[in-house]
Amino acid sequence: MTADTTGTRADEPTDEPTDPRRHVSDYFRLERWELPSPDGDEHPAAFAGRAPVDDHHRGPGGGLRTGGLLTNLDTLGGFTSGLAVLPDWIVTTSLLATVSELDHVGPLRYRGDVLRRGRTSVVTALDVVDEGAGDRHVAAATMTCAILDPGAMELEFDRPFSSTMAPPLAHPVGPEEFFCIEPGEGPVTRLDLADRLRNPWGILHGGAVAMLADEAACRAAVAHGPTASGPAGVAAADAVLHYLRPVKVGPVEARCQVLGTRAGRTTVRVAIHDVGADDRMTTLGSVTVLAV
Amino acid sequence: MAFNDYPPPEHFLGDLGMEAELTTETTAKVRTRVTPFVTTVDGGVRSGVLATLVDIVGGAIAARVLRPDWMATADLSLQLVGRVRGPWVEARGSVARRGRTTLVIEAIVVCVDEDGNDTVVDGYPADPVAWASMTFSVLPAQNPSSSVQTAGELPARWSFAGGGLDRPVLDALMVEMVDAAAGRLSLAVRPYLHNSFRAMQGGVIALLAEAAGAEALGAAHELDGASFVVTDLQIAYLALGRVGPVVSSARVLGNGPDGRAGAVVELRDSGADDRLMTVVNVSGAPAAVLAGAAT
Repeated sequence: MTADTTGTRADEPTDEPTDPRRHVSDYFRLERWELPSPDGDEHPAAFAGRAPVDDHHRGPGGGLRTGGLLTNLDTLGGFTSGLAVLPDWIVTTSLLATVSELDHVGPLRYRGDVLRRGRTSVVTALDVVDEGAGDRHVAAATMTCAILDPGAMELEFDRPFSSTMAPPLAHPVGPEEFFCIEPGEGPVTRLDLADRLRNPWGILHGGAVAMLADEAACRAAVAHGPTASGPAGVAAADAVLHYLRPVKVGPVEARCQVLGTRAGRTTVRVAIHDVGADDRMTTLGSVTVLAV
Repeated sequence: MAFNDYPPPEHFLGDLGMEAELTTETTAKVRTRVTPFVTTVDGGVRSGVLATLVDIVGGAIAARVLRPDWMATADLSLQLVGRVRGPWVEARGSVARRGRTTLVIEAIVVCVDEDGNDTVVDGYPADPVAWASMTFSVLPAQNPSSSVQTAGELPARWSFAGGGLDRPVLDALMVEMVDAAAGRLSLAVRPYLHNSFRAMQGGVIALLAEAAGAEALGAAHELDGASFVVTDLQIAYLALGRVGPVVSSARVLGNGPDGRAGAVVELRDSGADDRLMTVVNVSGAPAAVLAGAAT
């Protein structure tokens, strides 16, 4: 992976991504920058980011859909963790997120801090605030990544690393269309594995997995019964995702089981399978769906 | 029973009276009785106690699946999803994925009767009480820090025998309140709450984080901690707490869109240079909110 620190001006609408390797993060227009260690350590302990909340990213909760929030957390946490373990690299193994606010003004500001760097894994704390709402807290998360030998992948970064905000799309599409999530309803939701949804390792981007989990859990909650929905519908909030295996082939299927509804919150177990790879389970987690 | 003298006769797990059974090579179940000493004001079992239950069921499975290697809990998440009806709560665990360096296990918690059968409501099994997932790090068998290498000797059934709790579980643990609004609680590390590494047991850590979050979030709602029910725990275990006392602190994140609220709780080993041991995302609601909302 070679870092791209250039980019189109953020106020020039375009339909083309500036770099196919940044396709997913550019969709949510996440700019990010390394916070160099004060002692000059080349393994930084912190990373920051900022992204607007464009209208086509908003969900029934009024703000950025949780799947988008998780995508940005996955991207920022991945860079925080990856730069901390150079010359090795990382793959996300789990993401535990608590969402305290669904309605956002934007832009949202992100921060990642390495909590622990072990022999085989790195743990990062992530935090999100709403700059447009007086830095009101939006979400907190903990991300664990496994440390990998990058093999032949080129890991060359200009340091300190930074990546500019992508321009807005001239013809914006919603997350379901962008992430190739098939229309539908009920406990099973499918995603077609388009090449642009693959990360530099060639596997489905963790953010796409998160958006699929969000959409699938919401559909399952609605299908389960009327108590799950509010006047505006439903919105995903807290999420736990264990990335068990990479998604390589597709199509991808999220199979949901409603575990219970309590005080307006429906907890949904989500198991994501790579149908084309012997139907193996690739992600397991839970999503809390709120009536909004 | 004990493995390599763990747990000792006077131990938190024994007082919870947990009974375990390895049901297959990759599944297990562990149960504990619902008593007033382990419940919250709404009648539910404390999320920290349920986290202990699922940590034990996960550990039992991991010990068998990973033998001769050993394991340490890396992360644990738990969500309360339904009512507790008792008389027992049982965690049923299964392997989701075994990798080279990690093992992921999920567990569902249900209510069972004295004979271990699912509690029945209107002719159907009652809804689940909680869902949980865990990641275990694999520790090679030669790891000198591992004090227990008897995974292969695990019987199919066993129980942690003890005298039973005669007071609320937080009192039995001897949790000390320092500053409720800051979620600052203190807990000495002693054999009663050791894990097999002679550090603070993972379930005890969950209980301390639950209590710290409830106190801080309760204070933010002008309530005492007992009136705030923690329903969700997301725990990242970073380092062992060997020296103590272990001291918590909480950062309240704000009120959620439905009357709920969350906090990030940190636990530090004050006797080991304040080393950060654990970070826990805690969320829940005042008991009155949970009771007043439609279920």
